[in-house]
Amino acid sequence: MASLAKGWDIQMRVIKALMLRELTTRFGRENIGFLWIMAEPLLFAVLVALLWRAMKGPLEYGVDIVAFVISGYIPLVLFRSSVQRAVNSFTANGGLMYHRQINVIDLILVRFLIEFIGHMMAYLFIALVLGTLGFFPIPHDIGFLMLGWSYYAAFTFAVVLVVAPLSEMSDVFEKIVGVSTYLMIPFSGGFYLVGSLYPDAAAVVLWSPPVHGMEMMRYGIFGPSVDPQYDFLYPLLFIVPCMALGLVLCRNVRRHLVIE
Amino acid sequence: MIICQDIHKSYKAAHGRHEVLKGINLSVAKGERVALLGRNGAGKSTLIKQIGGVELPDSGRIIRCMTTSWPIGFNGGFQGSLTGYDNARFIARIYGRPYADMREFVEDFTELGGALKQEVKTYSSGMRARLAFALSLAIEFDCYLIDEVILVGDQNFQRKCQQELFENRADSAMIIISHDMNIISEYCSKGVILNNGVAEIHQTIQDAIDCYNAM
Repeated sequence: MASLAKGWDIQMRVIKALMLRELTTRFGRENIGFLWIMAEPLLFAVLVALLWRAMKGPLEYGVDIVAFVISGYIPLVLFRSSVQRAVNSFTANGGLMYHRQINVIDLILVRFLIEFIGHMMAYLFIALVLGTLGFFPIPHDIGFLMLGWSYYAAFTFAVVLVVAPLSEMSDVFEKIVGVSTYLMIPFSGGFYLVGSLYPDAAAVVLWSPPVHGMEMMRYGIFGPSVDPQYDFLYPLLFIVPCMALGLVLCRNVRRHLVIE
Repeated sequence: MIICQDIHKSYKAAHGRHEVLKGINLSVAKGERVALLGRNGAGKSTLIKQIGGVELPDSGRIIRCMTTSWPIGFNGGFQGSLTGYDNARFIARIYGRPYADMREFVEDFTELGGALKQEVKTYSSGMRARLAFALSLAIEFDCYLIDEVILVGDQNFQRKCQQELFENRADSAMIIISHDMNIISEYCSKGVILNNGVAEIHQTIQDAIDCYNAM
């Protein structure tokens, strides 16, 4: 037990140190510093929401269009930037392998956590601002909203765990991963409600695990009027094996990692 | 005690793999100072990286029964994109040491002054060596792995290094890579010559140096 507690202590220490280091190197200490992490998702989401508002008018599927687009888009941006940050994260941080208490999984986890926190902050901030202006509803069920986020984030982390080692193993993969994240747009569930699709199309998109998380978030925010479609078990059947595969790949890549 | 059992390590090369270490057996007892000798490219740094756990061997086992530093050299152990102070802060955090002590030691030992506020990538090799030494000496290890940096820098720094390493830490074990036979013969108790991927162990340092010179 004692050694387990000690191991946990070291783990926490390492994660904390790595996060602070990553924040300093990425954002520096000048002006707003680490608050920059929410700037990118915020700008993305707001601009896309304004575009939709201008093109389609104030409502989409009977709910406020700005709230609809933003709540769908920020998770997608989280997925995309997490995957992009994962590419080559081992080689970029090879120097950290000089310290034996740092594991390659820590590197991936830290980069993901920073993206996650940044996007959550952006989400919260914009929801509060829009909420006061009357463009964002008070969530119907906060628990469901958080559950949906958890599913979505777990899916993202599982993918990241596989992408990071694969990008080290193959140059081709590294090049195509950027493009392929765009394929996630229809499969993220961010721009439609599954209940409003043709049954055939709905059956197809429900194969995609994050759609379930997204539908849970929609229900959590807008309530039963959006007719959410989700399954609690199905996403886990993807996420858990994907994480296991990622851990095996990471271990394998670490064995052959050459460090200057 | 550190024990290496049949360590093999190869790297990807133009045709197949190039095997650098072909079955290294070696042990370092508590307080023992081992010199690692060999030509350029013999695999000295590769071996020290395996012992420090920076890279993992293809096969074989490394048993560490004492705390071991990271290999102290010109790279590694610190981040070029961070300042000297930020590096010290990071090392203090991951090794769970109070930063105030760390800072004081680093300032005192490196004598780099205002340069500690600059990014490490702007440092000269002498300045890097000072920082690398300070960061690792600030944390007490049972065994220090030293990769060539020992004799860089000016007279004053060399004297400081020798005092900190060999006098203040007289009971620490060390594995030292150096081409300076004076330092080695003065401070090391045992010599290991790396040649063709295997380790030749000499129980007296003079014996090792004679053999190495005859190669």
